[in-house]
Amino acid sequence: MEWLQSIGDYFYNLLIAQERYMTILKGLGNTLVIAAAAAVIGITLGMLVAMIKYFCQGRKAFRPLEWLCNVYVTAIRGTPVMVQLFIWSLVILTSWTNALPIACIGFGFNSGAYVAEIIRAGIAAIDPGQEEASRSLGLSKAATMRYIIMPQAIKNILPALGNEFIVLLKETSVAGYIAVNDLTRAGSIIKTVTYDGNIYFVIALIYLAMVMGLTKLLKLLERRLAKSDKG
Amino acid sequence: MIKVKGLKKAFGDHMVLKGIDYEVEKGEKIVVVGPSGSGKSTFLRCLNLLEKPTEGEIWFEDQLITDPKAKLDEIREHMGMVFQQFNLFNNLTILKNITLAPVKLKLMSKEEAEEKAFQLLDRIGLRDKAGAYPSQLSGGQKQRIAIVRALAMNPKVMLFDEPTSALDPEMVGEVLAVMKELAESGMTMVVVTHEMGFAREVGTKVLFMDDGLILEENTPQEFFAHPQNPRLQDFLSKVL
Repeated sequence: MEWLQSIGDYFYNLLIAQERYMTILKGLGNTLVIAAAAAVIGITLGMLVAMIKYFCQGRKAFRPLEWLCNVYVTAIRGTPVMVQLFIWSLVILTSWTNALPIACIGFGFNSGAYVAEIIRAGIAAIDPGQEEASRSLGLSKAATMRYIIMPQAIKNILPALGNEFIVLLKETSVAGYIAVNDLTRAGSIIKTVTYDGNIYFVIALIYLAMVMGLTKLLKLLERRLAKSDKG
Repeated sequence: MIKVKGLKKAFGDHMVLKGIDYEVEKGEKIVVVGPSGSGKSTFLRCLNLLEKPTEGEIWFEDQLITDPKAKLDEIREHMGMVFQQFNLFNNLTILKNITLAPVKLKLMSKEEAEEKAFQLLDRIGLRDKAGAYPSQLSGGQKQRIAIVRALAMNPKVMLFDEPTSALDPEMVGEVLAVMKELAESGMTMVVVTHEMGFAREVGTKVLFMDDGLILEENTPQEFFAHPQNPRLQDFLSKVL
């Protein structure tokens, strides 16, 4: 029974001693906050950009606005998220002492560009006949978007959107570089004390569990939205 | 009711309509025929400004609708349109397809709109499909619903863009029957079609379009019995 004892000691030292599990839980909490806040900011921004692009299409007066959206999407998608985080924390929001909201904003702006492209593609995939029929009945462009196009687009883009949030959740693991104590950094903190790299297996398992949960949630949502497709 | 003056439409360098002048009177049933690519669908789509004319004027009940300041959405409420591909809203039930526009545009309450929708569905014998989604219907059923959806707005004129061209042959009859009944009720109609029987039977005037121009206009009897334009003679010899 000695080996069992030693395994117990090992895990005690890895996770329990000096309240190491609290470090992990706090990190997990921060990771979830960043991911959730960034997802909300990302959807809001992405929707805004996609709508601006849709409603400005072919209107000369709105060219600058359209141009601004294109610059945003190109700049964000063309640069690494870590570099963007450094710019947010060391150049733009230097007066903010708490790194957590900076991470939320950084990842939110990053996600927004990808969400915008996903929504734009979703709208473009809807048969133009749907819009023509709606407009021919006297419904405005905005009402057509709200009642006809967007409900159909959302259903089509849900898998891509889900994928984006899975990527986002995992990408938050670089938040430690701007001094946020996220889940990954919690692992590093423990490792510097115990000199035991196996803590990263524990961290990896937690990420995996979150991603699997998210995947399951999205599947459920997809199935519910697919109801009008039967037949 | 609809007056078209010097209507031209170009897609890029390609001139599709080369100067159309025409007037549709209240209660008329204008049938437009012609070979593919003659511009007849574009002409129809210009009437409710789904295509923006490059040049020319369109008047609808003494209102210049080609004026950039014209309230297009309001004008379109009075012009129903039926498409070749039906274009029912895929995300809505049949009942919602019919009631969406009148309710959202605040022309009717939800109850009024639904009552009207069921009346219309009864007329075409599809009351039992009210809760179904478009993907559950046949082509003929979809097109009849599309006609009813436009009628729910109480339009002053109905535009039909090749309404039977995408249908299986055995479903053409049921759609034409609904259109005939509509014609008999006195509706003003402009119909682009390849159904010569319908043109002969229902049309008050038949137009022949080719190469972006109206080449001939006549009563159905004269149009089919004594075609004047050689291109129309050629066209009729191929399709009849």
